[in-house]
Amino acid sequence: MAKNTKSDKSTNQLLIEQIMTKVATISQNIEKRGQSIFGQGNLLTLDEINDYSLEFLELFVLLLQAGEKVDRRGSEYKALRQFFSNFSQQIQIRGGNLEEFVRYIHFMQEVFLDNLEADDTVNFHQTREILLLLASVFNDIILDVFHVYLAEKERTIQAQQEELKHTSTPITEIWDGVLTLPIIGTLDSSRTMSVMENMLSRIEEDRAKVVVIDVTGVQAIDSQVSHHLVQMIRAVGLMGAKAILTGIRPEIARAITSLNIDLSMVSTRSTLSDGLKEAFSLLGITVHAADTHRH
Amino acid sequence: MVQGMHLTPIGDGNVLLEPTDGLDLGEPDTYLVPLTGTLQQMRARRLLYDLKNVPVVDKLYYTWLVNVAAMCRISGIDMVAVNMRPATAYALALTMENSPPFDCALDVNRARTMPGAANRK
Repeated sequence: MAKNTKSDKSTNQLLIEQIMTKVATISQNIEKRGQSIFGQGNLLTLDEINDYSLEFLELFVLLLQAGEKVDRRGSEYKALRQFFSNFSQQIQIRGGNLEEFVRYIHFMQEVFLDNLEADDTVNFHQTREILLLLASVFNDIILDVFHVYLAEKERTIQAQQEELKHTSTPITEIWDGVLTLPIIGTLDSSRTMSVMENMLSRIEEDRAKVVVIDVTGVQAIDSQVSHHLVQMIRAVGLMGAKAILTGIRPEIARAITSLNIDLSMVSTRSTLSDGLKEAFSLLGITVHAADTHRH
Repeated sequence: MVQGMHLTPIGDGNVLLEPTDGLDLGEPDTYLVPLTGTLQQMRARRLLYDLKNVPVVDKLYYTWLVNVAAMCRISGIDMVAVNMRPATAYALALTMENSPPFDCALDVNRARTMPGAANRK
């Protein structure tokens, strides 16, 4: 049986051969580079870097062995892409950045190219084919990593927005049956919806009788914002609770009068403290200063 | 007995109205006159309209509630809507143009202890 010469071999076979014969050097180089990139920032431990490097080589060889042409729908290709997606996700979660990761992937390509350069038996045509194969596979991987990065960023932004929504409108039961809702910033439709939903649920849960809505932190008011405020107050009323609007600064009061907004159905007080006094009064509670002299 | 609703006297002139599935809001006049007559016979001073089993108060339902409130007012009866769900209140508040012509209370007990319109400032 005739033995295959290098010129007869396919691109995949050539690459597999290179990896197999120089696996120690290749993995060592990749690990070394991985350590310099991910080890310094404590993004990965040495063991993790070594494991990742070996896993990558295994998956890459499996992909090359799967067929002459890279089958992008094949399980081997999907496994390699999944590996890089998980890898990059882990790096991101630990605070690493995309740039370093992409440089690392480029370096992996360089390792193969260096080996190729050192091998005199590979002809020009084969070198070109290997280059094309590496470029095609690694470009896809970089794109995947980029998608994962974007998706992760998107998730982070959404989580931060949710967090901000909750912290910017904290509904607190300040007394039995009295809820306070300080509004800070602007009140757009989406925020009004979320605030209203939370507030109405809290009225039901806490059996609230009075809700003090404090707008001291509202910087500006326009017809839309005031409309949302009126909707909120009406919704509170429909749940059988009484709404008191407090913290209307002179500029806000001026804007409300200029916009001809009718707040006659709303109980208003200038400060949160006055609003609370009104709430207590509605509940029949009188607050006295503690007697400092004991008799 | 009025078709489409249960009316239960719960003491102190309070009558609880629980709408049933048979209530056809397309024909409000069919219900309004018998309802007012029954409330007068019961010597009701306050009607507690229970919205616990009403998941959506749309324009048609709201008009019905306004009509009931108007008939009650003419007869000297206060109307209080009770047990409105948060989601219902939310959706209704977005579509309402004015405050409702009836009171609202979180539950029946609160509605019973509310001061009557005549006793309010």
